[in-house]
Amino acid sequence: MILHFDKRKRSSYSAFEPTSALQGEIYSRDELGEEILKIEKYTPSRAIAKASSFALILEKGAIYINKSSIFQFKIIGEGLLGEQRLRWESEIKAKYLKVESESIRQAWSIFGAYDGMGDYGHTSPNTRLLLSEGFSGILTRVKKCALNSCGDNEKEDFYHSCEIVLEAIISAANRFADKIEPYNAENARALRQISSGAPTDIYEALQLLIFYFYIHEYIGGTRIRTLGRLDLLLQPFYENAIKSDAYTKKQIFNMLKFFLYTLWIMEVPYDIPFCLGGLTESGADATSEISYMIIEAYDSLNIHSPKIHIRTSDKTPRNFIKRVLRCIRKGNSSFVLFNDRIGIEALRRVGISEHDSIDYVPIGCYEPAVWGVEMGCTGNGGVNLAKAVELVLNNGCDQRIGRLVGVNTPAPQSFAEFVEAVKVQIRYMTKLATDYIVEIERHYKSINPDPLLSAQYENSVKAGVDVYDGGAKYNNSSLYFYSLASLVDSICAVKTLVFDKKLFTFSELCDILTLNWNGFERERLIALNLEEKYGNGNTTADALTAELSEFCATLINNMPNGRGGVFKAALFSINHFVHLGERTAATPDGRYDGEPLSKNLCATVGMDRCGVTALINSVTKIDFASFPTGSVLDIMLHPSAVSDREGLEAFQGVVMTYFKKGGFAMHANIFDLQTLRDAQLHPHRYKGLQVRVCGWNAYFVNLSRTEQECFIKQAEALL
Amino acid sequence: MNGFIFDLKRFSVHDGDGIRTTVFFKGCPLACVWCHNPEGIPYTATDAFYQHKCIGCGECLRADFAPGNCLGGARIRYGEHISSIELLKILLEDKDFYDTTGGGVTLSGGECLMQADFCREILKLLKDNGISTAVDTSGLVSRKEFEKVIPYTDIFLYDIKAYDEDVHIRCTGASNKIIIENLRYLDEIGKKTEIRIPYVPGLNDGQIPKIAHLIKGLSCIVRVRVLPYHNYAESKYEALGLKSTLPKKIPQKGDIQNAKKIIKSITGLDVI
Repeated sequence: MILHFDKRKRSSYSAFEPTSALQGEIYSRDELGEEILKIEKYTPSRAIAKASSFALILEKGAIYINKSSIFQFKIIGEGLLGEQRLRWESEIKAKYLKVESESIRQAWSIFGAYDGMGDYGHTSPNTRLLLSEGFSGILTRVKKCALNSCGDNEKEDFYHSCEIVLEAIISAANRFADKIEPYNAENARALRQISSGAPTDIYEALQLLIFYFYIHEYIGGTRIRTLGRLDLLLQPFYENAIKSDAYTKKQIFNMLKFFLYTLWIMEVPYDIPFCLGGLTESGADATSEISYMIIEAYDSLNIHSPKIHIRTSDKTPRNFIKRVLRCIRKGNSSFVLFNDRIGIEALRRVGISEHDSIDYVPIGCYEPAVWGVEMGCTGNGGVNLAKAVELVLNNGCDQRIGRLVGVNTPAPQSFAEFVEAVKVQIRYMTKLATDYIVEIERHYKSINPDPLLSAQYENSVKAGVDVYDGGAKYNNSSLYFYSLASLVDSICAVKTLVFDKKLFTFSELCDILTLNWNGFERERLIALNLEEKYGNGNTTADALTAELSEFCATLINNMPNGRGGVFKAALFSINHFVHLGERTAATPDGRYDGEPLSKNLCATVGMDRCGVTALINSVTKIDFASFPTGSVLDIMLHPSAVSDREGLEAFQGVVMTYFKKGGFAMHANIFDLQTLRDAQLHPHRYKGLQVRVCGWNAYFVNLSRTEQECFIKQAEALL
Repeated sequence: MNGFIFDLKRFSVHDGDGIRTTVFFKGCPLACVWCHNPEGIPYTATDAFYQHKCIGCGECLRADFAPGNCLGGARIRYGEHISSIELLKILLEDKDFYDTTGGGVTLSGGECLMQADFCREILKLLKDNGISTAVDTSGLVSRKEFEKVIPYTDIFLYDIKAYDEDVHIRCTGASNKIIIENLRYLDEIGKKTEIRIPYVPGLNDGQIPKIAHLIKGLSCIVRVRVLPYHNYAESKYEALGLKSTLPKKIPQKGDIQNAKKIIKSITGLDVI
């Protein structure tokens, strides 16, 4: 008898109780940590050390359970392997990359110019294999391939590490089952099945996803950044359940509510995504009854996570998209919509086969990578484009601190020279960021070997090489470009004011910006009011947008990384636009020192003057298939524009037109100014007001004042 | 030919089917007391000053000042002469949006048919470019002028503000005789029409059943839209230096639903 999800009992779903101790169980996290240090000390192979540490926690860590839910459990030892990775990373940095690490740290945290880092978190595990074969099936594969590794120590260690983690997780499922048995026999039964083989019904499949995700994310030390294509995963189980009368639709709906709610109360940092819809390998559409049911369940819960990625193609039913848009309109907006045509083409441009690219999943926020085949590492850092303008204006130096951050380019004599100098700075920052990423990638296997993930990658298991050491079929890296609109607007301002209208000279502009426009308010307002602004259908700005975005993409795409793969460019800024803005001096577009820069593909804050259609027309001058780590347009619409049937059609029209014109990903906020202002004044009345921040949602009232102001300014433009 | 317009609204979703661009023409033969576009009434350029936006930049004190130079966006001149080709160029920008949603262009105002020759020209250009067209009109226009645009208009958005002539005069300053005649003419020639009824409490709310009877049986009508009166335009009157004629009372949600119900029960039409 499966428990019934009851909205009124919500709070009870996040309460955990310890289970009675058995011999040898450890209740102290510190104690487990000490044991792990001992393992590290006496185990020369990092892969084995990691696997043994993992196994130790699963074997000895005390278990806590929630008696009211159908999925919940916790184990002492969360985060310990993350700390282990940090130890190993610091050690490697100190040994091989001391100077570079310090300089890249400053480039980001002091100068707000660029960042580069090891990415141990943006992964798309092969949940399809997991659900079809179970841990035991994967273990059989590993054992079979291990037979060929004789004599190669490193490979032997690799296979051995995989065996350790798989055996540990198999026993752990049983141990959890023992603990839960007295309270929930159904749950225990599912866990025992997970321990012995592949899931046989939809309940076990969902249980396996939760169990695996929890263990890998919280114990395994690697961030899991998507559960995969959830409707494709569940559809066969769903059909079986209905056909065999094992569960009713109502019962399955109840399970889905528990499933989503469980992911929500885990409070995963930046939230955990999964994907629905899109083209399948055979060219059909993935949408099925279960896709609708998942959205229905999400909508009924009023929660702002998980993140739901909606892939769309010409074959996606219009009603499916409409269902999603109705959710967003209502305020349950944890969605991103994707355009398969561009996602697939983008991956093909970086050498991924057509067959593989069709099976992409968006990782993390918006980053396409082949599900369970590619190691996407889609969060390696990026370059602040607006900073390039500051560097040109200040002989390569950070304006406030006066230290050389870029290249000392000579004062430009013409507009063309100015643009060229900006490109020199972008190229230079890109090089420093990627050089660092490549260097640290060469040490990945000593920092974050991940046998649990590697075991799911067919290529990795065949080759006997960890996925963090280039074992996957595709081993790619990423670099983001931040604040495109601020860059374009600044260049336009220089063109118009310095070179065309000659309102002031280049060196006068440098002085004015050094003074942070102080005493030059008229000039600042003229700059702010220029027609040449990104996202407003202006030809000059649009041409620059196309030229500079292509320039950035060409710098990055297909550049070799440190793991036998290539770099993939991205065009979005996550929530860094505030951090980077605080570290970027006044810009020629009329922005003061320290103000936020533009976000994702948005216009500069407050400069979205011609509305959503003009914004889309301008933005789609960018060739989005040149950004294989993704891009996203945030749109804000007024509730009155999307209310009623006509409004919903128009909303859908906006999305469809964006995709038809070559856009890749889009998400939306439906707000009116009054609500946002009121929420700022009376936060207690708007506790539930969700806002789409970036790839994830947050409560508006929890945002910083600066972030709130950005949304308010965006809403003002809708009046 | 040049047209005289005062605004252009892109991503307009309630002025006909799909996503549209609406062009607002200068000049209107009516002066409705509830008018929310008073800058559209005179057929001359109208200057407005939005005091709350004034940042004291002093640009307007310069000898060479033009409203476009106001740095705070506080001084706005309503009224721009634009050639049909220039206007077409702007209207074509959102063609992809019209195509995806079955949208197009709506001519509105003011009363766009006061510039019927220009409307005819721009409507024809739009049709030549495969764009669907709507004309939002008060109907107070001579038959001769009206006929100029009919062949190039896919749908008329046709305002009926009152049935009784005296009420109409009180509300709008003009008789509705021609308006009703023109509506019957649209029915005669079978031109697709959406009826729009502004609902203004205390002024024309009593007219609802009579209007419903008027339009009952007219086969040209595809739907009826009830437009709840709002007073957002208050600040615009102030900026234009005009004495506001806006009624204070705003309709309740229930009033609107009730009005829709009445119209639907009398006419059997789709009422939104």
